[in-house]
Amino acid sequence: MIELLEIRDLRVTIGSTAAVRGASLAVTKGETHCLVGESGCGKSITALSVMGLLPRGARRETTALRFAGEEIGRYGEREMERLRGDRMAMIFQEPMTSLNPAYTVGSQMTEVLRRHRGTSRAQAVDRAAELLARVGITAPGLRLGQYPHQLSGGLRQRVMIAMALMCDPELLIADEPTTALDVTVQAQILRLLAGLQKDLGLGILLITHDLGVVARVADRVSVMYAGEVVESAPTAALFAAPKHPYTRGLLSCVPVPGKVKRDEPLGSIPGVVPRIQPGFTGCGFRDRCAWANAACAGSIPRRGAGEGHEVLCTLPPDWSREAAA
Amino acid sequence: MSEAAAIEVRGLRREFRVRQGMFAAPRHVVAVDDVSFSVPAGSVLGVVGESGCGKSTLARLILGLLEPTAGEVLVDGRRLGGMDRRARARLIQPVFQDPFASLNPKRRIRDIVAMPLIAQGAIGREEIGRRVAEALDRVGLSQDQGARFPAQLSGGQRQRVAIARALVLRPRIVVCDEPTSALDVSVQAQILNLLAELRRELGLTYLFISHNLAVVEHIASEVAVMYLGRIVERGESARLFAAPRHPYTRALLASVLTPEPGLGVPDVGLGDTMPDPANIPPGCRFHPRCPVAVPRCAAETPRPATDEAGLVECHLA
Repeated sequence: MIELLEIRDLRVTIGSTAAVRGASLAVTKGETHCLVGESGCGKSITALSVMGLLPRGARRETTALRFAGEEIGRYGEREMERLRGDRMAMIFQEPMTSLNPAYTVGSQMTEVLRRHRGTSRAQAVDRAAELLARVGITAPGLRLGQYPHQLSGGLRQRVMIAMALMCDPELLIADEPTTALDVTVQAQILRLLAGLQKDLGLGILLITHDLGVVARVADRVSVMYAGEVVESAPTAALFAAPKHPYTRGLLSCVPVPGKVKRDEPLGSIPGVVPRIQPGFTGCGFRDRCAWANAACAGSIPRRGAGEGHEVLCTLPPDWSREAAA
Repeated sequence: MSEAAAIEVRGLRREFRVRQGMFAAPRHVVAVDDVSFSVPAGSVLGVVGESGCGKSTLARLILGLLEPTAGEVLVDGRRLGGMDRRARARLIQPVFQDPFASLNPKRRIRDIVAMPLIAQGAIGREEIGRRVAEALDRVGLSQDQGARFPAQLSGGQRQRVAIARALVLRPRIVVCDEPTSALDVSVQAQILNLLAELRRELGLTYLFISHNLAVVEHIASEVAVMYLGRIVERGESARLFAAPRHPYTRALLASVLTPEPGLGVPDVGLGDTMPDPANIPPGCRFHPRCPVAVPRCAAETPRPATDEAGLVECHLA
């Protein structure tokens, strides 16, 4: 089967920081793949690499970067421009990064379609209104004539999603799309994305730091730490039996409503995320890991730990059971 | 009210005048509307609600950073209005969300932490040095880190600096406004554990504001739920999370995505209308979004009902 998106051994260096160090992942059509990790782990840089939107001065290398079977790693800016907003689209945490404050919602939404498809203005307006309604916006006609600042945060997020869908993309990359929103609105937006995915067969790469979001929407999860995918698994397997010490630590940090005990400390991971320089070898987590040993400074094996479950760690895959006992 | 109340708020109200255009008449926004409660010394009152519900305004009123339009705030039994700024600072201190914005980037950490002591005047240099060292040590920062600048520290370390600065005057009350919202999960857990430990060891009282219900459940002994300026439910934390009585509390709890795979994203039934503080609906202010509203809710304003389980403001509870 051809994956919708396939990233193999992605490396990104920005100045003297190795932001991504050999990340691989794949998104299948109709699937939500969550990329989870803390700030600075390289998850947003991974997404921007796919879109060809890396900051100036960043160097990208990959063994393969395929979109719908086609190698896009060698694409020039012109070819990427044709893909972006058309067959692959991206939404961000802060809707104002993609909405222009000086133009109405309608003119921004229709521009995408007119540019990529040469659609007539009237048809593009119809399509925009239809999509606004599709993302749950009442009175789309009114909204089309408004400017972004006249909308609430939740509405802007919906407009951005609708805009991303104008050309019927196959892949949607969503970078922390609900992080700035209230929990009540977050639930609405995530339901909306799930519904759209089912109806349109979208592949979604969802970037988040929120393990609650991951558990509820992901089919597969990749956990990133210090520029590497340290663990990758189907969602149920990852939460039932996390293998990497970082994944386990991260899960223990999350207060679970109804299960927390007051005055009982939460699990936490000591130390801070390191900044990795090019040429760094070994496991990036070893300074914070309670199980680190001499082998962790060497090359780290990627081991299978069950159906579709991989972990980048020197510990044997069944160690967690021993640790729990 | 018992004399043990660390914070007591009576009929507190704050209005803002908001102008939407150069020629439009200003509108009145009631950010906090007739709020009363008391927080016993040594306990933690969590305040939750969506953005725009008035929780940060409430924090600023209690800190004395804003004057109330009506009502009063008593801190440690004394009226906040008219209290000397320095006396107030020895009693109540804030910790804010964004450790980037609340620390002066051009000052060394130890000077930032010393600031409240210097502002008191009449404290000797040696005494200041000693108390800054003690405060840094309390929050888990080294003396070496005290010599650095904010930009050289991580987000979690910066929040520790903000906590050290809040504690250096040995206040009895700390108002935490979203203290962990800008932090990564693993760091958030470190800061929450630190705050809980400090409360136990120093006998502090917290007013803890957060939009993250799981965080509030973890740290608060009592919880107040705010909606468009009013407390619509208040109660002991364990009871409120186990058996919420207000439909809004139930909806908030239902929207929390716990890390349990396979459950999907719940439909919280709030609809698409967003609350607008400048345009508060008649009757029960929650009725346009309420999944269980009846005609009476649009016509009649509910009154707060108090019993042993706490307070609730709903016709149906």
